[in-house]
Amino acid sequence: MKFSISRDDILSPLQIISGVVERKQTMPVLSNILVVAEQGQVSLTGTNMEVELVCQLQGAEISAEGRTTIPARKLADICRSLPSEATVELSLEGDKAHLRAGKSHFKLATLPADQFPNTEDNPQDIEVRFSEGDFKAMLDATSFAMAQQDVRYYLNGMLLEIGNQYVKTVSTDGHRLALASVDTVQVLQDKLQVIVPRKGVQEFSRLLSDSDNEVAVFIGDNHIQSQIGNYKFTSKLIDGKFPEYDRVIPQGGDKIMIADRESLKAMFTRASILSHENIRGIQLHLTPGQVQVYANNPEHEQAEDSIDVMYDGPELQIAFNVGYLIDVLNTIKSDSVKMTLSNASSSALLESGDEDGCLYVVMPMRL
Amino acid sequence: MRKIIHIDADAFYASVEERDNPALKTQAIAVGGNPNGRGVVATCNYIARQYGVHSAMPSSVALRLCPQLVFIRPRFEAYREASLAMHKVFRQYTDLIEPLSLDEAYLDVSQCTEFHSSATLIAQAIQNDIKSTVDLSVSAGVAPNKFLAKIASDWNKPAGLFVITPDQVDSFVAALPVTKINGVGKVTAQKLKEMNIETCTDIRNYDSNKIIERFGKYGKRLLELANGFDDRPVVTERQRKSLSVETTFSSDISSLKELSPAFYKQFEQLSERVSKANPNLILGRYIKLKFNDFTQTTMDEAIHAGIEDWKSADSFINMIEKAWERKDLPIRLLGLGVRIGNNKNDKHQLDLFD
Repeated sequence: MKFSISRDDILSPLQIISGVVERKQTMPVLSNILVVAEQGQVSLTGTNMEVELVCQLQGAEISAEGRTTIPARKLADICRSLPSEATVELSLEGDKAHLRAGKSHFKLATLPADQFPNTEDNPQDIEVRFSEGDFKAMLDATSFAMAQQDVRYYLNGMLLEIGNQYVKTVSTDGHRLALASVDTVQVLQDKLQVIVPRKGVQEFSRLLSDSDNEVAVFIGDNHIQSQIGNYKFTSKLIDGKFPEYDRVIPQGGDKIMIADRESLKAMFTRASILSHENIRGIQLHLTPGQVQVYANNPEHEQAEDSIDVMYDGPELQIAFNVGYLIDVLNTIKSDSVKMTLSNASSSALLESGDEDGCLYVVMPMRL
Repeated sequence: MRKIIHIDADAFYASVEERDNPALKTQAIAVGGNPNGRGVVATCNYIARQYGVHSAMPSSVALRLCPQLVFIRPRFEAYREASLAMHKVFRQYTDLIEPLSLDEAYLDVSQCTEFHSSATLIAQAIQNDIKSTVDLSVSAGVAPNKFLAKIASDWNKPAGLFVITPDQVDSFVAALPVTKINGVGKVTAQKLKEMNIETCTDIRNYDSNKIIERFGKYGKRLLELANGFDDRPVVTERQRKSLSVETTFSSDISSLKELSPAFYKQFEQLSERVSKANPNLILGRYIKLKFNDFTQTTMDEAIHAGIEDWKSADSFINMIEKAWERKDLPIRLLGLGVRIGNNKNDKHQLDLFD
């Protein structure tokens, strides 16, 4: 195997692919990138056995076909530290990969390509087409609420629901929930629900741009796959039943507060400083025209703050994990935010002032 | 200066058995293992003790000493129940309770204002309450520290009450045989005897360096105890469930206005005590009123743990007002307190899915 390519053409793919490769690996080959130079094409592949990314390199000139695996991070670090205009020549000589650029020469350890795990290809059961920007917005609007290493493994990912003329993404960690929805033209008899693991969601979002380009997503029984530009993204799906999210979206809230998003976020951020560092509870006190916050911590420090809001309902005191509220206010992009409440032990519904199809549910803390 | 009461039930297991089966009262009984096997006597009643039977004695030996001895299998469920009932009585006077076993406990009553703060009268009241509610006899020792309180409870058994006041500590300890000191067993007693030490006075007169040399760390402790000094606090085993301050007034109070100065003073005392607790575990505040007819009423309210400050004089006054409406009588005692949860309550976040 031997090919050459400009440093800039290989650097960005290397960096994106090494994002999938995890630092701590049980199998040594998983910390490597698979490099394949065959049939006039050079491709790079990285995987963590859950998410796989393949990139077809542009502008590579192959002088000898072949394949091998090379330590991902070292390869990316070397390319990053080469001058921008450099040309990189990568070749397999014996069991070492040689990288030459100008007067620089690196010999890297390799592992045989046949040790590299294969992901099944083309799991084409259902194909959904999106505007790239819309789909990215949906992922980004909901990914923050995914659980992390929860024993309820089905929460450690995002629900992708393809229904009749709509697509929804939903994520929840059991305390708060985020939902985004867009209309599609797809006519479907039965809705399809799959759970994309956390890592898959993150890598997928990273590959997507804000453009209006159409992107096709293929969903099979065990995998989700998409081709975005030169990248082919494949992720396993979480085999589990996502909770019935419809049940926990509050319907009967009668106390509606509309606030300036930035001011509300700034107040929560200030109050959070003196909240308990693990529990992060703050109390909200709603009175007509105003919301007050109160926070304290085991060191007996206290924060009190208030802002003017649009509210004409009855007085209400309710407590939340301030982190959950700030997460929502960071995700919502509109100038104003609407919060619908019913009582101190029922969930709050937060929505953007512009109707953007997203909604957020946050459970309060016990009073 | 602390006020410690050591309570020790008399022949506890045997007394519970006698209580539940009065026919046993006239017989020599032993609660414990089978005399035909290798069992031992856990407790025996006072009749059996006249025959020389004592606890930890092999059952077979006990039977030889007292052939008519009735053996009873222990019923720990009944003992636990009696123990809980005793603790309920303790808690009427203090929250600072350190149980040593089912039937034995240290009580710190330094903060208790009942009976004009007299620990002796409190101890007597506890004995009477246990007699009337649990139908068991207990002995009590009252002293300024745990070491002496424990010795005192054993002084006049059964149903005894022995008090060592702070001024009596010195003379009491001076005459105390070293064998009465907790931790001085046969071996230590023998070593001390070889050094011609038999009483605490002998220890005091001995070269303290030599005692430390001979007994190490325990020697230091011996010197402290021989001088009647013991600084160990009463440690509550369970996590505290509440913190409170009570005041019994020198004369009955009949209006809120009259109560006000005492209330604020007490409120400050409570703040002082609560300041050491984790505010995120404070789940509620409560008040207690004792009327001049000795009936009492309480009221409590939940607070938003970790979020709302418990410290609100208005909320306490509000509760006092409401509770006082229940009876149109002057009050003789006011209690203010906060309820404290355990660490499990630290998690207040509610779940979306149940």
